[in-house]
Amino acid sequence: MTLPPLEIVLYTGAVSLLIIGLAGLVMGDNLVRLVLALAVAEAGVNLLLVLSGFRQGAFAPILLEGRVPGPMVDPIPQALVLTAIVIGVGVQALALALVLRVRRAYGTVEMRTLRARLHEDLDAAAGLPPETSRNAPAVERPA
Amino acid sequence: MNFVVLAVALPLLAGFLTPALGRSSRALAQWLGWGTLAVCIGVLWVAWARLDGGTVAIAIGGFRPPLGIVFYLDAVALLFGLAVPLMALLLWPREGTPQQFALTLVLTASATGLALSGDIFNLYVFYELTAAASFGLIAGRGTGAAQGAALRYLLLSAAGSVLLLAGITIVYLRTGTLNLAHLATLAPERLQDPVGLAAFALMLIGLGVKGELFPVNGWVPEVYGSVSGRLAGLLAGLVSKLAVLVVVRILVLIFPQPEAAQLMLVLGMLGIVAGELAAWRARDLRRQFAFSSIGQLGIVFVAFSVPGEAGIVAGLAVALHHLLVKPALFLLAERWGGSIEGLRGAGRGHWLASGLFILFALSLVGLPPLPGFWAKLLTVMGLMGLGTGLAWLGALTVMAATVVEAAYLFRTLSVLLAREAGYTSPGPHRGLDLVTASLAGLVLVGSVFALHPLGDGLKAMAAQAADVQGYIRTVLGDRAVARRGQREDRISEAHPASRGSDRPMGRADRAYGWPAGSPTRGARS
Repeated sequence: MTLPPLEIVLYTGAVSLLIIGLAGLVMGDNLVRLVLALAVAEAGVNLLLVLSGFRQGAFAPILLEGRVPGPMVDPIPQALVLTAIVIGVGVQALALALVLRVRRAYGTVEMRTLRARLHEDLDAAAGLPPETSRNAPAVERPA
Repeated sequence: MNFVVLAVALPLLAGFLTPALGRSSRALAQWLGWGTLAVCIGVLWVAWARLDGGTVAIAIGGFRPPLGIVFYLDAVALLFGLAVPLMALLLWPREGTPQQFALTLVLTASATGLALSGDIFNLYVFYELTAAASFGLIAGRGTGAAQGAALRYLLLSAAGSVLLLAGITIVYLRTGTLNLAHLATLAPERLQDPVGLAAFALMLIGLGVKGELFPVNGWVPEVYGSVSGRLAGLLAGLVSKLAVLVVVRILVLIFPQPEAAQLMLVLGMLGIVAGELAAWRARDLRRQFAFSSIGQLGIVFVAFSVPGEAGIVAGLAVALHHLLVKPALFLLAERWGGSIEGLRGAGRGHWLASGLFILFALSLVGLPPLPGFWAKLLTVMGLMGLGTGLAWLGALTVMAATVVEAAYLFRTLSVLLAREAGYTSPGPHRGLDLVTASLAGLVLVGSVFALHPLGDGLKAMAAQAADVQGYIRTVLGDRAVARRGQREDRISEAHPASRGSDRPMGRADRAYGWPAGSPTRGARS
């Protein structure tokens, strides 16, 4: 399928946003940045969804005095993307609220520290001694 | 049959009323929740009785498919739909706040929707709603661990949802429709290529977050380790199965190509290996069950990857067995949570609980004649019937998993029943937990004596679920399929410009045969 140059640019942009967001999610460590990466990835997907209904030079899908003014863009993705945006905003707000709670409970906004403390916490709640790796050095390394 | 919509609408409505009602009276909010769930069970039961083995599509709001949203009812959908309010009632958060009641009701509504909906975007919305409700329920415990686990789960789950939505977008770009039946008619020509396969992979990973699929299941031990046994049972037993059900619908209807099933087989196998080995290494009972649930869901995925009826029978058997056993085990672990070593001799004196534990463990391992054995046997037979090298590897993985399961469950059993004392009991199991677990035990034992009728029932169900043509006929009807060609002609007269477009793909306005400006679908948002 060959696309006009404008659409190539738009599609590339949308997919890049998605990839940048996902890369941020995978590689990021700061919890707030992870939420931001999520927002970027969602923006990319939403853009992709809107683009799926895009047609160059077409009208917005609104009837003018009951008449169709000409070729229109597909209205369905626009309705869908509205839903997706609302869901995304809700989830991001919830995520930020949880980041605040986590910071209060563990005093950190870093994913690695959170993970380590969370696992220590779970072990302690289960009455287990902290797990010692067999590969860990037997003594502290001298500074 | 339109009343079936109530099974989704009522708990949603009650869910929004409960917090307000809970301000004045907590008991009233609780009774509202129980009453709503009872009505849902009744509604779905009546639907089950009226359906009598047939299939029905309900066009919601009177908008006909493929444009409107449909609920598709067949035996599998109703069985899982019925399991949702039933299990929500059995695993109700009794000590919780009205907010937790509300979230449980929302979870019920959206999970029922996942079982019944026949529209791919609608499924996405229900999936997100299920996710949001479960984040709230997990974090609602209030401990730091629960909130940390909820946040980590949320980030993973939201990333999965992004992938799911990307997959749906690709499907829509290719076909211009979101209705599963309409997609099933278009898929053979439009989605049988690498791009279609990529869409399936994205959707599989997205839905796999809740289904505890291999690369995206890191949340499982953290969440199940930090929430109450009831909630862990609800998430592991029910919600994960509904995600799998959606994957299976998509696989059967839209992606019949063998590569899609192979991808699921490989990820399922990796899940089995990772889950069972981690369970073997786990040092506390709750996380042992959490990891074992990853392994069991791996078996479910492996079973469903066998094409055709045989795979669906096996998958349903493993899924239903796990749905019954794992919540009961989590309920028993409520008192026996904590380090396995610390449980030395804990089972002595609590003979009912120990007996149930032994029964569930044996069935999970797959000791004949318990149902777990037949479920695994069906899976292995189905895989061997395929005869490919990969399928053989899958069958061997399932059998090796059985050995590992036996190793860790029997080790736990021997600790529980050890002779030496030294265990300080935090009190006996709560009566209600034991009653619920006993109920599951009774069903399990009862099904041993009803193997033949159960097997026949499962086969009929699977035949129905595997029947793609039947699905299309039920939703779109014979006439609608025949008439679609005419409609396209009529529309192209009205919009000469839309036909002249050089777009190769069926844009929605042409594929649906509706004027592009028709506002019906906007009702979604």
